[in-house]
Amino acid sequence: MQWNFEEIQEQAKTEAEVIDSPQALEAFRLKYLGKKGTVAAVFASLGTAQPADKAAIGKGANDLRNLVEGLIAQKVGGISAGKAPGELVDISLPGVGGGFGHTHLLTQTMQEIIDVFEQMGFVTIETPEIETEFHNFTGLNIPIDHPSRDAFDTFYLDAEDPSAKGRRLLLRSHTSPGQVRIMKKHKPPMAVIVPGRVYRPDAVDASHSFMFHQVEGLLVDEKVKFSELKGLLTEFCRRFFGPKVVMRFRPHYFPFTEPSAEVDINAEILGIQRKKWLEILGCGMVNPKVFESVGYPKGKYKGFAFGMGVERMAMLKYGINDIRLFYENDVRFLKQF
Amino acid sequence: MKLSLNWLKDYIDPKLSAEALVERLTMAGLEVEAVESVGGDTVLEIEITPNRPDCLCILGLAREIGAITGKIVKAPKIKKLKIPALKKLIQIEDKKDCSRYIGTVIRDVHINAAPQIMKDRLAALGINAINNAVDVTNFVLMETGQPLHAFDLDKLSGGQIIVRRAKAGETIVTLDGVERKLDPTILIIADTQKPVAIAGIMGGRDTQITSSTKNILLESAHFDMGLIRKAGRALGLRSDSSYRFERNVNFEGVLTGADRATELLLQLVGGRLSGREEMTSKVKTSTPKIKVRISEIDSLLGAKVTAPQAKTWLSKLGFKLTASAGVLTVTPPSNRSDISQEVDVIEEIARMIGFDRLPSKLPTISMNNIPVDKRPREIKDKIRRVMTASGVDEIITLSMTNTKALAKSNLADLPMLRNLNPLNQDQELMRPSLFPSMIQVAVTNINRGQKDLRLFEIGKRYLKEGEKETLNMILTGRRGNDWRSPKKEMVDIFDLKGIVAAILKNIDVSPVYGETHLKFLDNGCATSILLNGEYIGSLGKVDRKVLNNWDIKNQDVYWAGIHLDEIFAMQGKNLKFQPISEFPAIVRDVSLSVKKDIPYKKVEEICQLQGGDILRSVHFIEQYLGDKIQPGEKGLVFSCQYQSNVKTLREDEVSAVHERILQALTRDLNATRR
Repeated sequence: MQWNFEEIQEQAKTEAEVIDSPQALEAFRLKYLGKKGTVAAVFASLGTAQPADKAAIGKGANDLRNLVEGLIAQKVGGISAGKAPGELVDISLPGVGGGFGHTHLLTQTMQEIIDVFEQMGFVTIETPEIETEFHNFTGLNIPIDHPSRDAFDTFYLDAEDPSAKGRRLLLRSHTSPGQVRIMKKHKPPMAVIVPGRVYRPDAVDASHSFMFHQVEGLLVDEKVKFSELKGLLTEFCRRFFGPKVVMRFRPHYFPFTEPSAEVDINAEILGIQRKKWLEILGCGMVNPKVFESVGYPKGKYKGFAFGMGVERMAMLKYGINDIRLFYENDVRFLKQF
Repeated sequence: MKLSLNWLKDYIDPKLSAEALVERLTMAGLEVEAVESVGGDTVLEIEITPNRPDCLCILGLAREIGAITGKIVKAPKIKKLKIPALKKLIQIEDKKDCSRYIGTVIRDVHINAAPQIMKDRLAALGINAINNAVDVTNFVLMETGQPLHAFDLDKLSGGQIIVRRAKAGETIVTLDGVERKLDPTILIIADTQKPVAIAGIMGGRDTQITSSTKNILLESAHFDMGLIRKAGRALGLRSDSSYRFERNVNFEGVLTGADRATELLLQLVGGRLSGREEMTSKVKTSTPKIKVRISEIDSLLGAKVTAPQAKTWLSKLGFKLTASAGVLTVTPPSNRSDISQEVDVIEEIARMIGFDRLPSKLPTISMNNIPVDKRPREIKDKIRRVMTASGVDEIITLSMTNTKALAKSNLADLPMLRNLNPLNQDQELMRPSLFPSMIQVAVTNINRGQKDLRLFEIGKRYLKEGEKETLNMILTGRRGNDWRSPKKEMVDIFDLKGIVAAILKNIDVSPVYGETHLKFLDNGCATSILLNGEYIGSLGKVDRKVLNNWDIKNQDVYWAGIHLDEIFAMQGKNLKFQPISEFPAIVRDVSLSVKKDIPYKKVEEICQLQGGDILRSVHFIEQYLGDKIQPGEKGLVFSCQYQSNVKTLREDEVSAVHERILQALTRDLNATRR
């Protein structure tokens, strides 16, 4: 049989031009490349061909197959995008997919805080929410019946403290009991971050919740100075709020640190006008009485501790005006971050 | 504590603008929270931390301002009075409850209004004028910090004061007109018959000073701080006096307060000083001598301070000190009960220098000595990654719940931890499950028209045996948002199971699925998750009745919950590389019809059992539940993939195994080929 390959190729090109649907494309493929298609027929004819023609026929069949495969490949993209030949795709239509989920802003903020300290050599440890009076108060130099406890009002549970007969377990009112737990278990040097939920019986309003999150920090070694506490927290604020942050350290009182300070940052950096300074955290040098309560040798160690509210940090940084938004979990809130 | 600047100027002129004074006080640890103008006066609202009861009076603040500014404080000079000693006026039942009581009697007084200037001073601090006698007690309280009380002596039965615990069943009507029930935990002032005041908190109405009072008994005392605090809490009653007693009143100040008030009473109320009885259990409070090493100042603060500098600052604060060979021996003033250790003194030095002027440098770090179990956090991080990649949003909900929410969720019978002092019903229980929190968030969103929800939380359940880390997830609403497919499909159990399976695979858990009996799930469409035979969670469709309880009417909700502590405790898998076969795979599709109650899992198990070492995997393709099949049957389509790591499999080798599988399926499951 004689094959006019040139003509067949022209024919295929003409047919390909008018293909406008997946069905037409499949028919085209079958006509040339199917089991009973042209290419198969050409190869089949090799059996009866003159030996002198075989090379040309073989080459013709291969060329035809390559051409048709090429034509099909060109068509596939256009057709599957719903594009008629010669027509523009409305690329302004929205893309599909990519609907990923969001971690909660508090998780993100907590991670951001932890990251800064971990980069500086701290390790992160979580300690329990259900605590004893020793860890939450006495071990931190907060007497059970003392006004210094007023700032740490506490929820009690109907469960007895196995380590203190007749005393009840409670929900920690701050992350500082983590300090006592970690120091009881380990020897310095240590640099630890303790993040987690804390509870205080506060009436709920735009800036108060009976449950919120804190991040606690503790660094203990033989030689640790207040100047280093200042240096570390200054560096933290620069990394968290940006290099232009202005800070001030104000003397304050916490039973478990001495000296104690609160740290303010300039409100201006966050675009807040109603106040000049915003309080962001509390800190101080670990009170020797705390070292005593965890059983460290007298005078051997020094350390500093600090604590901050995660909600407060997130509210300041992201301009959120109501703490309840965090726990309400409206997806329009969740998906913003 | 309110500070009137007019009143302050009676004792010190700081020569600073109000604004500058606010700044200086704040930076010295006396944070000014508000500044207001009250009729020609400026009043600062200062937060006094619990360690500084000495600053709960105008004179105390004047001394502090004197120390900060270096200006001189002129405290009022009190004339030494000759006072006749009285006897049998005062009895103290227990000296531990009341270590000092000074009763001063003034007779033939004239009760009327106090002078305007005294009324103005008190008004600036928010205290109402009552009469000259009461106003003097309030004035001296605010001036010196010593709480005082004036009784109408003639109304005291037996003309006596007895400091004792209340008897069960006793009552008193306090100055505010409220009848209070007393008990033996409460310290009272009584006469020979009845309670006349709640010690340190508030006087009684019946013995108060009135316009007809002729004779006064003035009380100046020192009560046990813990006792006053507990009584105040028990009674739900606080006053300017109790606020100061709770924080400890200066033992030395009891006499000063009595003298100052006596002097002012004689001046303003008239009458004559009849006499005084003083009961004191200890002669003097011990004055601590604290050793402060000069080198320790640098060790603690990171600032070089010389002995003379330290002496200057401490002297300004009224500390007495002696110096020798690098050590200061320091005695703080009697009103500074907060100073007992070396670090307390160093903090005072730091305050005087100004925290902002202390050096700042990054810590010199030693290597951390704390081994940390990274696994819990790694697992939580992995879960968050899979969840967000699967389009699931993280939520954070409150750890407390209430009986109603649990009842609505068919969870009321779980053992639970109860919160003993909730502020409201919503906080009465620690949640034993995250389910009510999850469903509440779904309700909140659905009510706001956001019906397509994919949510998860990593949080804690609280059981009698402690807090347990838990993962919960819910899916509800439409599956995706693809505008190319006009049919909006709703999520179902397999969307949920797919994400759960992806998470478990990611954290190296090979689960076994079993039956579940959670009461809030539709148990026809739910399964438990087992790890090494232990229950670690469930997933399923939420029971319709439960959804109705929560007012979710028009959509199904799918929930999964997994206990994480068991997974944290498990050893992580040591992953090893599995060689990838160089030889071609042969795939055989199978289409079967089986009884509807036969789970696909059985089919897969038989394939695995019969497949030998050349069956590489079984892939599920399709389930057919239509009408082109025997009633009571379902169609299952899957494929078996055969492959060897060592050679190209021959058709006949594959066919033999495949045929064995098909025969086993027919024999064991009564399956027919379609």
